[in-house]
Amino acid sequence: MSIVTSRRFWLVVAAIVIGLLPAIFTDSYWRTNLIVCAINVLLAIGLDFVLGYAGQLNLGQSAFYGIGAYASTLLITQVGVPFWVAFVAGVLLAGVAGVFLSVFAVRLRGHYLAIASLGFAVITYQVLLNWISLTQGPLGIYGIAPPPPFAIPGLPPIEFSNLASLFYLTAGFAFLVYLLLDQLVRSPVGETLTAIREDEVSAASLGVNGQKWKVFAFAVSSAVAGAGGCFYASFVGTLVPDAFFITESFSILAMVIVGGMGTLIGPVLGAILLTVLPELLRGIGDLRLIVYGVSVTLVVLFMPGGLVQAARLVAARVRRPAKVGRDP
Amino acid sequence: MLTVVLQQGINGIVVGSLYVLVALGLTLIYGVLVQINFAHADIVTVGAFVAYFVTHWLSGNYFAGIAAALAVGAVFGWLMNAAIFAPLRDRGNELLPLIATIGVSIMLQNAMLVLLGPIPYAFNTPYSNEVIRLGGTFLTVQNALIIIVSTITIVLLYAFMKFTFLGKALRAVSQDRETAGLMGINPNYVIMLTFVIASALAGMGGAMLGPVLVLTPFAGTSVIVKAFAIVIIGGFGNVEGTIIAGLIVGLIESYTTQFLDPGWIDIVVFALLLLTLAVRPTGLVAERREENV
Amino acid sequence: MTGAGEILLRAEGLRKSFGGVQAVRDISLDITGGTVFAVIGPNGAGKSTLLNLMSGIYQPDAGKLTFSGVDMIGMPSHRRVRHGLARTFQKIRLFKQLSVLENVLAGFHLHHQIPPWQYILHGAAFRRDRERCRDDAANLLAFVGLKPRAHVPAGSLSYGEQRMLEVARALATAPRLLMIDEPAAGLNAAEVEALLGRIVALRARGMTVVMVEHNMDLVMRIADRILVMDYGQHLFEGTPADVQAHPGVIAAYLGAEVR
Repeated sequence: MSIVTSRRFWLVVAAIVIGLLPAIFTDSYWRTNLIVCAINVLLAIGLDFVLGYAGQLNLGQSAFYGIGAYASTLLITQVGVPFWVAFVAGVLLAGVAGVFLSVFAVRLRGHYLAIASLGFAVITYQVLLNWISLTQGPLGIYGIAPPPPFAIPGLPPIEFSNLASLFYLTAGFAFLVYLLLDQLVRSPVGETLTAIREDEVSAASLGVNGQKWKVFAFAVSSAVAGAGGCFYASFVGTLVPDAFFITESFSILAMVIVGGMGTLIGPVLGAILLTVLPELLRGIGDLRLIVYGVSVTLVVLFMPGGLVQAARLVAARVRRPAKVGRDP
Repeated sequence: MLTVVLQQGINGIVVGSLYVLVALGLTLIYGVLVQINFAHADIVTVGAFVAYFVTHWLSGNYFAGIAAALAVGAVFGWLMNAAIFAPLRDRGNELLPLIATIGVSIMLQNAMLVLLGPIPYAFNTPYSNEVIRLGGTFLTVQNALIIIVSTITIVLLYAFMKFTFLGKALRAVSQDRETAGLMGINPNYVIMLTFVIASALAGMGGAMLGPVLVLTPFAGTSVIVKAFAIVIIGGFGNVEGTIIAGLIVGLIESYTTQFLDPGWIDIVVFALLLLTLAVRPTGLVAERREENV
Repeated sequence: MTGAGEILLRAEGLRKSFGGVQAVRDISLDITGGTVFAVIGPNGAGKSTLLNLMSGIYQPDAGKLTFSGVDMIGMPSHRRVRHGLARTFQKIRLFKQLSVLENVLAGFHLHHQIPPWQYILHGAAFRRDRERCRDDAANLLAFVGLKPRAHVPAGSLSYGEQRMLEVARALATAPRLLMIDEPAAGLNAAEVEALLGRIVALRARGMTVVMVEHNMDLVMRIADRILVMDYGQHLFEGTPADVQAHPGVIAAYLGAEVR
């Protein structure tokens, strides 16, 4: 294996790029976008684990994202628990919500889970909107503090009140989750989930308990979204229910589809592209979601493997140049 | 108190019968293709807006509005099948068409948002303000019209499915596409027809829901969630179950609005959905489909 | 552990109907360990339904089913695999997008002997487990003659190769009883001979094989016991010689096929 195709090489490159980005983008506008990118990457790889590998469409990502955000924030502001405890609780709660939902729906064929999760996203939004005594409803929660300084003995504490270190925190966490999921999908877990995606009856004939594994994949996906929510709350400092409307689920889905589901690097690229592109084309502000809708439809119809498939096609073309015009 | 219960019962049946129209389309498509058209509810929204504008241009001719919505819905159904479902039919991945129609839904909603803006449209038909009194309860002529038109449509559809050759062909294709092919039925034609009928129903449902709903480009979203709940509670692909479940959801909606809070509607409907899934995973009326192994 | 010669699978009075049609009515059978048991009968006789009842795709409406003394009724198909039941499908159900090797590797689902945290850390035990699975998979592919095709997508194999891959995948679960549903369907003469050799080899290793098959020549040459089904019912059961001598069976099904 040459160095350019080795996994470790690219992981090191990715780590270096994450380290350099805040040095390249020094204005707060782009640093803010970098953090949004990191959160979207987290949400997208979480969705891809259940969609691209286990073949189950989770349209409830906006809800699990919201549960993570509201649960951690309320624990900090109302109960007064430390940030990282609230973070773990938010992640767990989102994961448990995912388990609760999927336990009902996994007995049924694929579509039911998609619809049940969509319904769950709608009612979670309604609860956030209507449970005013807890969530302040549409008024929202303001003035959420950033994560507390992180003290390593012998070193000066790391403050998270500036955008650069907040980016390192979210991107570093997204990188860790990427590594974790990448290890999982390259283990027998990946084989099992893929078998379920391809043919559940067939997988059962090999001893695979499809229901159990679908619940597992759903839980992982929801928990990752919950982690995204915790970071979102502490980064934006404000929570309103509209941030967790079901369109958020669709945006995350668009990132996974455009990037290429069933690979982990695809959703990373998709998340970055669909976050940065609308910022670059400022004029299309209103058209952002139209672009998402059109690109999802076109990618499914003509390039179901997304950017990753496109890249592979290009790479194959480069390696084996077209023979047109060689013969006299 | 009794009057309130009766009054809300009437309101529930009005809305419920429209949900039945929308959900029947979803369930018909699921019946023949085992696929979900996620953009189905956006055809409802399109139908509502078409009816709104046609009714206004023709200075209050609501029936022309309904007819136009029906026609536009039919065209959308044909387009959905030709552009999305037909090309993806043999890809062997059941999620791809669903995802593609989510794309179409996002596209339609936001295109309407750009064209029509986010402010709700007040869709008043000439019949919205005429009231029929029945004892202590009352019914607008508009609502009476909704009940009559949707009942006739549902009965006609039911008769079509049961008694005409095309209806039987449709059911044959839904049971076994290969065998239907052998019987000389062209499944592609039947599938196309199903989309046209289902989407025409959605467009027409939109024309009648328009005056009831908060008419914005996103109106479809609240409808689709209830329609999905209805088809699951009723049993996917099951016409009778869909009708019963649609009326139940309509009643839940009106009683929840009266006795709890409108914000609770989706929560109660969804709780019922989960309960159904927990007790009877195939819906109220069992899904008659054996996995062919 | 049930040895050869003992009853491995026992069914009593199995019934299953679909929407008023009785697909399997009152079937009882005993399958002895280490033998090849064939189920024959015309199309729609309920053979595949019987197999689906035994593998757990369907649950019977009535009747008993035990596998090496363990009650199978109510047990889902994936649990039955743990007890040593494996199967192939009449309509081939491979993971078509995955490679031939990956299909077989998926069959080792129950046989990874590493703690869960190894799935994340990929330590030495993980790598040993991976090597072992790859070696075993290579042996299974060699057994069914697909070793040179290990890295092509399963969907690109020929029909006969796909059937053999299903057998290899089922064998990866290390079954004691292998159910194969029409293994010779769509195979050419040479492939049928190879299939026959493989089934004989499996039996020689002590494997019990239940086979639903239409190819009478294959059945008569290989089966130890044959169950003849018709309209979901038990028509006759015996050795190939018994079946060939039974006038009713010959008249009904075999006349044209067995000379």
